Amino acid sequence: MLSKRVLIIDDEETIQTVVQFGIKLAAGWEVLTASSGLKGIETAQAEQPDVILLDVMMPDMDGIATFKELQAHPEVQKIPVILLTAKAQTAERRQFNDLGVSGVITKPFNSLDLPEQISRILHW
Amino acid sequence: MPKPSQQLSAKTHQRQNQKRQLQPLLENLHDAIALINNQGNLIDVNKRACQLFGLSRRALMKRSFSSFLTAFERESFAQSLRSGQSLIGELCLCSADRVQREVEYSLTPNILLDSHLLLLRDISQRKADMAAELRRQRQRIELFSEVTLKIRQSLQLKEILHTTVTEVQRILQADRVLIYQVFANGTGKTISEAVLPDYPTILDLEFPEEVFPETYQQLYAQGRVRAIADVQDSTFGLADCLVEFVEQFQIKAKLIVPIVQVHPQALSDQNQLWGLLIAHQCSSPRHWVEFELELMQQLADQISIALAQAQFLEHLEEVVETRTAELQEVNRSLQQEITDRKQIEAALQQSEEQLRLITNAMPVLIAYVDDQQRYRFNNKAYDDWLGQSPDAIYGSHLAQVWGVDCYPQMQPQIEAALSGQVVAYENEIVLKNGNRRSVDITYIPHRDDQQLVKGFFALTSDISDRKAIERMKDEFISVVSHELRTPLTSLHSALKILATGRLGTLSNEGQQMLAIADDSTERLVRLINSVLDLQRIESGQVIIDRQICDAANLAIQAAEAMQALAQQHGVSLVTQPQSVSIWADADYILQALTNLLSNAIKFSPQGKTVWLTLEQGQSEVIFRVRDEGQGIPADQLERIFERFQQVDSSDSRKKGGTGLGLTICRKIIEQHNGRIWAESFPKYGSIFSFTVPVLE
Repeated sequence: MLSKRVLIIDDEETIQTVVQFGIKLAAGWEVLTASSGLKGIETAQAEQPDVILLDVMMPDMDGIATFKELQAHPEVQKIPVILLTAKAQTAERRQFNDLGVSGVITKPFNSLDLPEQISRILHW
Repeated sequence: MPKPSQQLSAKTHQRQNQKRQLQPLLENLHDAIALINNQGNLIDVNKRACQLFGLSRRALMKRSFSSFLTAFERESFAQSLRSGQSLIGELCLCSADRVQREVEYSLTPNILLDSHLLLLRDISQRKADMAAELRRQRQRIELFSEVTLKIRQSLQLKEILHTTVTEVQRILQADRVLIYQVFANGTGKTISEAVLPDYPTILDLEFPEEVFPETYQQLYAQGRVRAIADVQDSTFGLADCLVEFVEQFQIKAKLIVPIVQVHPQALSDQNQLWGLLIAHQCSSPRHWVEFELELMQQLADQISIALAQAQFLEHLEEVVETRTAELQEVNRSLQQEITDRKQIEAALQQSEEQLRLITNAMPVLIAYVDDQQRYRFNNKAYDDWLGQSPDAIYGSHLAQVWGVDCYPQMQPQIEAALSGQVVAYENEIVLKNGNRRSVDITYIPHRDDQQLVKGFFALTSDISDRKAIERMKDEFISVVSHELRTPLTSLHSALKILATGRLGTLSNEGQQMLAIADDSTERLVRLINSVLDLQRIESGQVIIDRQICDAANLAIQAAEAMQALAQQHGVSLVTQPQSVSIWADADYILQALTNLLSNAIKFSPQGKTVWLTLEQGQSEVIFRVRDEGQGIPADQLERIFERFQQVDSSDSRKKGGTGLGLTICRKIIEQHNGRIWAESFPKYGSIFSFTVPVLE
C-alpha cells in the first residue's frame, strides 16, 4: 500500500492523537491535524492531503459547513472527504451521502482500522 | 073574455092576496127582513128587524140603513148597493139602543121596482160562542204547555211523576190523582199521588192482581182509556170486586189513561204498559169531559217520553260511570307514570348533575357530538380552555367552536368517528390566552340499538407537558449519546493501540486487564447505539423509506453479515432464501434480521444450527429465525420484546446483549405494519418470526 497523507479535522485533541497513532501504527501514513474547520481548510489548501477525515460536530463551523466551504475552493474540491460522525443512523448516512462526501465512518471507531476502512471507501 | 083593465085588476088582486098570505109568514121569520130603496133608506121591515134595529116600524121608515153601521162599513155598503149585484157578507150593526150585533146579511137587489131585499141574521151569539171556544182551547194549550214545561224541568223521574200528579190534580180539580206502576208479575203499586186532605192516601199501596187482571193490562197497552162517571153505575161494567175495592178509598168516579213504554231497541213495535195515570173523584160521581181525557192522555204521553229519557239517562249515567271509572283508572296509571317519570327524571337529573360534577372536575375536554357534528354535551374545561361556556357551545357545529386553525386537521378524524371507528390522534390547539397546546384526542363512536352511529364521545387531554418532557428526554439521550461517542472513540482506539504492544509490552495480567477494558468499551458502544436507535424510532424521528426489495436478497445479506459471528460461536447458519418482492425499508429489515440472528447465534450451544427461512403468505412474507438453544419459558414470550427484559440478565450480559435488541426489532416491524412474535419449545429451541407486507 502506498504511503498516504491524511488530514484529520476534529476539535477533540484526543481524537486527533488516537487517529494519528492508529493510522501511523497500522499503515505508516502521515497524518496532519487541524482543530477547526477554518484551520482544516487552510491546511488542506497548503498541504493537499490525499484524504480529509472531517468531524461533523464541531463548534463555530461544523463539518457540513466545512465540507461546503471545501467544495467552494477549486484547489481542494477534488480531495475526497470522509465524515466522522456520532450520528450513526441510516437516514443521516443518506443525508451525508447526498451532500457528495466520499464516505461516512461512525464513532466510536478503532483508529487502527481506519487505513483499511479508508482504502475500502476510496477504492485504493 | 075579460077586458084588459079587468085583467090587470085581477092580477093586482091576486098579488095582494099572495102578499096577505106571506105577510104573517115574513113577519114572524126568525131572520130580519128589510126592504131598502135606491138611497138605502128602509121602506119596509119585519118584526125581527125592528128588534134588531131597536126601533118601531114607523120610526124605522125612511131611516137610512147605513145609520146603523159603523163609518167604515157605511161607505163599503153604499158601494155594494151601487154596484147592483147580489151580496152576502157580515156587518156590525149598532141598534138605536146602542147594542152592537154581528149580523150576516144577504142583499138581493131590485126584488121589486127600486126595492132591494136585505136579509139580516144575528150571529152575535154564535161568534161569542166560537170566541169562547177558541179562548178555552188556547187556555188548555197554555195549561198543557205549562205542565209539560214543569215536567220537563227535571230529568228525575220521581220528580216528574210528582209534578204530573200535582198539576193534574190542580187543573182537573180532582180529589185524587195518582200514578200506578205495573210490575212484570201483574201486580202494581201507586208510586206517586196528589190527594186532597179529606181522602185517604193510597201511596205505596200494592194492588192485588185480581183488581187489575192481565186482560186489562193488554187493553191498556193498546191504548184504552177508561172514563167512569159513576163506579156504581152498572153500565160501566165494573166487576163487583173492583167496585168493592175502589169504595175502600171513597172513589165515586175515575178516569184512567195508560202510560206505555216505547222500546226503541225492541224489534217489534209492540208497546208495553208501564203504568196508569188515574184521576179519582171522591166527593161525587163525575162526568169526565173530552178536554180532561185529552189532558190526561197527553200527560201520560209526556210521562212515556220522560220514561224513555230516564232510561236513556240511566244508560247514559251507566256509560258515564263506566267511562269515569275507566278515566279514573287511566288517570291513576297516568299519575303513576308521571310519578315514575318524575322519579326517573329526578334520578336522571341527579345522575346528570353527578356526571357534570365529575366531568367538570376533569382537566380534560369531555364532549358528546351528534351525527351532525354539533355539540350536545361539554364539560366546564371548554370554558376554562377555550373561553366558551358549555351553554354557549350547546348545539354549535365543531367548525364554529374550533375555527379554521384547528378544524381542518380534525375533520377527517371526525368523519372516521362518525363512520364507526374509534379514533385517537394528536393535534395542536390554541387556548383562549393564545397559547398553543399539544393535545391527545380520542373519539369513541356512540351507536344506538340498531348499531347506527348517533354521534361520538370526544376526549381531549393536554399532552403539552408530556410532549415537552419527551422532547427533553429525546434531546438528552441524543446529546448524551453523541457526547459519549467521542471519548469512547478515544478510549476504544487507545486501548486497541495499547493492545498491539507496539508502545511497550504488558505483563499477562496487564494484557488481561486491557482485554476486559476493551470488551467493556465495545459493549458500551453497542449499548449507546441501541439506546440511540430506540430513542429515534420512538420519537418518530426515523423515516421508514419503503422501496421494492427482494426478501431473499435481504436474507442473504443478513446471513453474510452474521457468518463471522456464527463461526466465532461454532454455530452453523443456514438460509433458505425465496425470492419475494416486499415493500420495505431494506436497511431497517436488515437491522431486524441481524439482530435476531445475532441473538440466535449467541444463545445457541456450539455445534448447533441457526436457520433463517422465508415463507410467502397471502399478503405478507414471514421471516423466521430458528435456533436450537435452551428455549424461552412460555410466560416470558411476550415480555422479552420489552426493553431490558432479558430472560436471564446475567446470561445475556455474558453474551454482550444490551437488552434493547428485540424492542428495536419490534419497533421496526410495527413501523412496517407487520407483526413480530416468538415461539419456544424448551430444550428444543426458539423461533422468532416477523411479517412484512408483500408488494401488491
